[in-house]
Amino acid sequence: MNPFKLGIATALTFALGHSAMAEENILNVYNWSDYIDPADIKKFEKETGIKVNYDVYDSNEMLEAKLMAGNSGYDIVVPTGAFLERQLQAGVYAPIDKSKLSNYKNVDVELAQKISRSDKDNIHNVPYAWGTVGLGYNIDMLEKRLGKGVSFDSLDLIFKPELSSKLKDCGITLLDSPADVISVALNYLGLDPNSESKADLKKASDLLKANRQNYKYFHSSQYIADLANGDVCLTLGYNGDILQSQSRAEEAGQGTKIGYSIPKEGTQIWFDLMAIPADAPNKENAYRFINFILRGETAASISNYVYYAVANTAAVPFIEKEVLDNPGIYPTEVVKAKLFPQLAHKAKFDRLLSRAWTGIKTGR
Amino acid sequence: MNASELKSTITGVANPVNTELPLWKQPDATPFVRIENITKKFDDFTAVDNVSLNIYKKELFCLLGGSGSGKSTLLRMLAGFENPTNGRIIIDGVDMKGIQPWNRPINMMFQSYALFPHLTVAENIAFGLKRQGASKQDVKRRVAEMLDMVQLGHLGKRKPHLLSGGQRQRVALARSLVKRPKLLLLDEPLGALDKKLREETQFELINLQEELGVTFVVVTHDQEEAMTLATRIGVMNQGLIVQTDEPHDVYEYPNSRFVAEFVGSVNMLEGFIIEDNVDSVRIDSKEAGCPLFVAHGISCAPQQRVHVALRPEKIKMTRTNPAQDDNCMKGEIIEIAYMGSLSVYRVRLQSGKEIRVTQPNFARDMGQRFTWNEHVFLSWDVDSSVVLTS
Amino acid sequence: MSSFSGNVWLSGFSTWKARFISVRNINWGRFSVISMPYLWLAVFFFIPFLVVFKISLAESAIAIPPYSDLLDFDMEEAYLNIKLNLGNYIYLWEDSFYIDAYLSSIKIAAVSTVFTLLVGFPIAYLIARSDEKVRGILLALVILPFWTSFLLRVYAWVGLLKKQGLVNEVLMSMGIINEPLTMLQTDFAVYIGIVYTYLPFMILPLYSALEKMDISLLEAAEDLGARPIQSFFMVTVPLAMPGIIAGCMLVFIPAVGEYVIPALLGGSDTLMIGRVLWDEFSLNRDWPMASAVATVMLVFLVMPIMLIRNKSGKEEAM
Repeated sequence: MNPFKLGIATALTFALGHSAMAEENILNVYNWSDYIDPADIKKFEKETGIKVNYDVYDSNEMLEAKLMAGNSGYDIVVPTGAFLERQLQAGVYAPIDKSKLSNYKNVDVELAQKISRSDKDNIHNVPYAWGTVGLGYNIDMLEKRLGKGVSFDSLDLIFKPELSSKLKDCGITLLDSPADVISVALNYLGLDPNSESKADLKKASDLLKANRQNYKYFHSSQYIADLANGDVCLTLGYNGDILQSQSRAEEAGQGTKIGYSIPKEGTQIWFDLMAIPADAPNKENAYRFINFILRGETAASISNYVYYAVANTAAVPFIEKEVLDNPGIYPTEVVKAKLFPQLAHKAKFDRLLSRAWTGIKTGR
Repeated sequence: MNASELKSTITGVANPVNTELPLWKQPDATPFVRIENITKKFDDFTAVDNVSLNIYKKELFCLLGGSGSGKSTLLRMLAGFENPTNGRIIIDGVDMKGIQPWNRPINMMFQSYALFPHLTVAENIAFGLKRQGASKQDVKRRVAEMLDMVQLGHLGKRKPHLLSGGQRQRVALARSLVKRPKLLLLDEPLGALDKKLREETQFELINLQEELGVTFVVVTHDQEEAMTLATRIGVMNQGLIVQTDEPHDVYEYPNSRFVAEFVGSVNMLEGFIIEDNVDSVRIDSKEAGCPLFVAHGISCAPQQRVHVALRPEKIKMTRTNPAQDDNCMKGEIIEIAYMGSLSVYRVRLQSGKEIRVTQPNFARDMGQRFTWNEHVFLSWDVDSSVVLTS
Repeated sequence: MSSFSGNVWLSGFSTWKARFISVRNINWGRFSVISMPYLWLAVFFFIPFLVVFKISLAESAIAIPPYSDLLDFDMEEAYLNIKLNLGNYIYLWEDSFYIDAYLSSIKIAAVSTVFTLLVGFPIAYLIARSDEKVRGILLALVILPFWTSFLLRVYAWVGLLKKQGLVNEVLMSMGIINEPLTMLQTDFAVYIGIVYTYLPFMILPLYSALEKMDISLLEAAEDLGARPIQSFFMVTVPLAMPGIIAGCMLVFIPAVGEYVIPALLGGSDTLMIGRVLWDEFSLNRDWPMASAVATVMLVFLVMPIMLIRNKSGKEEAM
């Protein structure tokens, strides 16, 4: 995650986060940046008369730091599955009373099933959006270096030194997120992506180290702009972000064509989940907001706006065709079968993981 | 009394009577420092205006003037800190043009002493020697010599800020002399000392200069200091040297109202020439109320307006009329200041002009003393006053 | 013997009594003025440090807050259990990664400090020697960047140093280089960022030291035969030393713990303790370890400063 943005987010949240808490009829939402159509918030405020204080963060770690410090003052937060799983152990979240959510029936049962690996019986969460980690690339640049007619849907591009070295000059970037990248690498190696074995971790980090010199940087959001500008040509990133980059490149009209593919070796599927902190001051308002999000129209609006998929069956009719038909956003059933969810690690393994990650990044 | 006699009298050193004339009185002597038509301008301001001056070996030359007279600028040009706008400076036969301060055979003692606060006394003195590349033993020996000379042998390891004003002054002197410069420049060397210390140090300075035979150029605003120290004085005003003479001549024969007034105190009487002889003049002065007769000739136009300068101590004050037509004024004592060795009187003449008179207090006797409002006669010898045309 | 000890006791008592009386006679106005800096230190440095130190002795836990308690009172047995975890410090020592990070931070901070000094000294010198009328303006210009946010200023360097940035474009249009230099995400960019950001902290103490210096000291040095370069090193530099030390401290100390500049301008391989600390805090969510890293950093930094202060204090006394 971008540590700089974390810093700003911290400053902002400390400065603004608690300002309106004492007032009546408000709702404090803490969500990822650029993760909702602002018009939807206005709509909610208009309908309910509830004033929404909407703060954003840029990483799960930032969110967790705030939650673990206690007394965050937020009514709704949106952690990713594995993080929610961890935070549940600390008793951060309140159980969600589904009877208060008339639209809960819209939730995609099949996906909810997958999520329940992180939160048994989905007692504490309601899905917000989901996505995959995959390959974003500059089509022309890759064709120039690798030849035409090659399909760019293999992680070989990133993990095979003979291929990655060919792309070194135009720039390869990876997410600065050890859990995401290592699990993809483990899966690529045919190992359990959620393995906590030291030996497996070593294999994954050796794989990355062998290619390290061909990577330009590790960053979790900078590639959105860089890919669109042609500063980098290949990235392992989040699907929605890459698709945003694609549409930016189109808007720029410079002829830069960006592609996204879900690796054929399989990749990680992640879910961002709405949850209510146990100490949330405005729980009733939180329920009303969640119910609002669960509406088919609202969920579709989110998907149309942020290019991420929503786990909402009622949304399908409202989702724009080009979004719905984009296999990068809504993968086919065949591809879906190959996706694995990420689970929470034990604290000990987290330490090993981050040490290995620093080793990879610094080349030590 | 010339300067060296004055010095020997005061210091008590029996000086053999000079059979030879001093160098500056020998027409064929080569000056050690030649200042030729030096001008220094700062933007529009002319600090030093076309000054020429010769200074001879072993002289102790004083530049005397008020602030802004250009004396310090002249000194700084000698040291090389300022470049003259015009003219040249020749020291010991070498034109100083383009020679940087660190290459000049000159040292300077600064008004503030400019001792390096981060170095000890010994290190301060050694600074110049080390730059010369003197050997360690050499440095050590000469520093010790200098410390002994200024009687600070025991303070070598102190930092300057722990010294008294007088001690600092001596360190500064030792530091500026250790390289045995041909010429030592001293900027108000005694200015920062209190009166008593200043008097003592004056004589130390003179002794040292005679002992070492170094040529000194001293800048001062203190006319007493200049009188005591100097072999010759150059009086400066507004960038010009207005008079260069031995102290005695500067005092007794000022060549202008400025010098007369700047050096010591003086009474000025205005008048017209009424009788112009080769070796004397007679002047009619309404202010004085009597004709003034001066026993030296001057070159001037008839009926020219002149000033007669009369030193307060040259005046005889009597109760009885001295019975002379010239140089005898009548007045009334309006103020008396008793100063111990002498008394200062202010006497108002009939014209309203006030005259300053000093009389030595010969006796303790109270009865003879003049008192307020007493009518007195003021008279003086024909050779006691000077006629000034400028 | 008993009388002897009695005397000791009595004399002890009387000094105690004397102290007591002197406490009563304290000038409270004076006392409160003197105690202000100590109070400030206590509230804003010492107490927070103790809190951090306390956390560093705890164990990481999945809880709110995410670390264990040091004290645990057993009500039934009336036992007070104190649990101190030194594991974090041992781990710090055993894993060369942390030591590398400290050393690398110190290296980066030291190099930057030297460059800041090299850049700052001429500027401070110029200001100190400039006309009094312009001096105020020049000083204001030095402080002026503080009017914009620190983050913005560092971000501006991203724009300057990147491949299509201003610096590369100017160099290329002048024909000095043929293809853009990689400056961003290198240690070089970190040095530039630190030097740029901390320059005012170097210039101001240097200026105040240089401004106090009597120019006639330089003239005296020249008069005694020192060339300008010699008088610079033998007079100006020693006299500016208090300013140099203060300036270097003001740059070096925050630079060691610098986080934003390496994060924004440095590469992934720019290893600095500030980033390690952040990773411990956020990535590992290990507050005790992060606290241990911070404690050691503080000790690393405070010790040399105390030594330097002590030394200069003694010199001053001489």
